[in-house]
Amino acid sequence: MTDKTVLAYFIYLPLALGLTLYVARTLFRNGRVFMLDIFRGKTDIADSTNRLFEVGFYLLNMGFALKVLEIHRALETNQELVEVLADKVGGFAIYLGAMLFLNLYLFFRGRRKSRENRPLPPAGTIATEPAY
Amino acid sequence: MNLNLLSYALFFPAMLAIAVWTAQVSHRHGRVWMLRVFDGEAVFVDAVNNVLLVGCYVVNAGYLALVIGWWEPIVELPEMLAVLTRRIATILFLLAWLHYQNIAVLLLWSRFKQRRQPTPPMP
Repeated sequence: MTDKTVLAYFIYLPLALGLTLYVARTLFRNGRVFMLDIFRGKTDIADSTNRLFEVGFYLLNMGFALKVLEIHRALETNQELVEVLADKVGGFAIYLGAMLFLNLYLFFRGRRKSRENRPLPPAGTIATEPAY
Repeated sequence: MNLNLLSYALFFPAMLAIAVWTAQVSHRHGRVWMLRVFDGEAVFVDAVNNVLLVGCYVVNAGYLALVIGWWEPIVELPEMLAVLTRRIATILFLLAWLHYQNIAVLLLWSRFKQRRQPTPPMP
């Protein structure tokens, strides 16, 4: 039987890139709330920063997906194809999950820092947001 | 022809379905707890909750795919049933452990918050 490496690449690439796209879109659709909080409701700068980080996330993770593409063994049976592919896609998905949680942590951290540096409200007004 | 491919075809969709179901249940019912932890800020809680849901999907599906690469060769049907059952049991135990871990974090965090501000306004 012929070698199935090229077939494996053609299955791996759409899967890995699609997964990156899905994770990044979800993360940054919900990241807007954090950015608005960090930049104190300034919509334009919050949206711009969010978009910039989204593009960075795409570049970094798609770059990593391409970097680990190469398969260093001959794939002769369908079983080997499935096993190697599952190993690769699964490893990449876990890496992506780790990046997602790292990003979420950074969002939380930015939010906390922004709240720490917030000036005191003018005298006579009541702070509606709890400080934590 | 051995039975590995058949086992994978049985194992992966079934386990993925259970993982997705667990994640969705946590997403739906964890929201109340997160509202308690984050002082009822619904927009913020929903954002965090959605990101956590996707993270849960990606990591669980990734782990399921990852372990498929490590199975031993399966030749006979009884062997297949034994291996399949053992693998499924491992995944279920892992999911259960993660699930209780999640519950514990939410519980402890909300208790910690309540202790810091004795009379929290409930949303």
